[in-house]
Amino acid sequence: MANDKMIRLLMVDDEIKFLETITKRLKLKLFEITSATNGNEAIEAAKKGRFDVAVIDLQMPGIDGVQVLEILKKTHKYLEVIILSGHATIETAVTCTKLGAFKILEKPCDFDKLVDAIKESYEKRLKKKFEHDQERMKQMEALALGQSPLGILKGLAKMDKG
Amino acid sequence: MDNATNFISIEGLKFFGKVNASISHEIKNILAIISETAGFLHDLTDLAKQGEDLKLSLLESCSESIAEDIQRGFDTIKQMNQFAHSVDVPIKEIKIFETVELTVKLSNFLSFSSKVEIENGDKEDKPVLTCPFLMESLIYQILLFVYESTGPDGHVLIQFDSQKKDGTSLIISTPTNFILDGFPTPDIQRAAKFLGFELNINSSNQKLDIWVPYVSKEIVALEKELQINLKS
Repeated sequence: MANDKMIRLLMVDDEIKFLETITKRLKLKLFEITSATNGNEAIEAAKKGRFDVAVIDLQMPGIDGVQVLEILKKTHKYLEVIILSGHATIETAVTCTKLGAFKILEKPCDFDKLVDAIKESYEKRLKKKFEHDQERMKQMEALALGQSPLGILKGLAKMDKG
Repeated sequence: MDNATNFISIEGLKFFGKVNASISHEIKNILAIISETAGFLHDLTDLAKQGEDLKLSLLESCSESIAEDIQRGFDTIKQMNQFAHSVDVPIKEIKIFETVELTVKLSNFLSFSSKVEIENGDKEDKPVLTCPFLMESLIYQILLFVYESTGPDGHVLIQFDSQKKDGTSLIISTPTNFILDGFPTPDIQRAAKFLGFELNINSSNQKLDIWVPYVSKEIVALEKELQINLKS
């Protein structure tokens, strides 16, 4: 199981009392938490900070949870997203899954289930990043064979653009 | 859908579904807060068992939060019950302020709703012979249209003007830009027509005026139509 101390969490919910209480509880589980009360705040927070997992409500004023999920998944390659909502339908669950949500949980949700989902999604993130890093390492090794230092640098730049 | 019975059946069912969905969302939110607060109390107890200091102020704020949300739940269920009973009798005499207030509360369960202030300058809540369900549906649709323009941070003011003998004007205004493009929609127009309400848009002074007659020939006709159709 992942080391809890490492998990940086972005909690997004427009129900402020719920957000405050669940944040307190998750902090006791030693997660590092940033909270946002709407979609715009969440997107701004994700631009500024680094997060491993985001827990997002669906129905919010302004940019809704589905849109936030779509934007965050496009802009943050390894971020895992859990949807926690009192308004999930089969249609929205299908949409969220297609957009890459790790799990969809319904409010009110069992706290331990949420904690487990966060840990599982964090493990998925680590695995995905590890696999990507391995792949990159292989590519770099192949690139370095018989190349001058300048050639290696040019090759790396080309690889990053690709 | 020129027939009022068809209109109420189809549009009314959509409205009923929309309100029910928003109420269930509200109840889930309330239960989620209560559940997490109770869970937090449990976490605090566990910490105390491990020798941590138990802050009384935290216990106090948790119990206050639970009590507040139980009250919020009671209020929601009361509104849900009031709304459910609005279909008991197709046409009846209702109190205009009470009906508008209930509809505003129902619309405020939506995440994109604006803050609404209802100003009742009249001493008495005027009785109106109407189809309560259709009236709630009409006001709800109008409020949704207004919320789209004002947004979740916007403010909406509803006032009543009962100076005329035969009806009350319901005036909806906002301090900011009031975009009325596309208003009224065909459904809003039809509902107003069946109820005998008049919609007057005054975009220059940012006001929407809904004329609600105490009794209209349209409502008398609607009562006859519904009586016939409900019997058959």
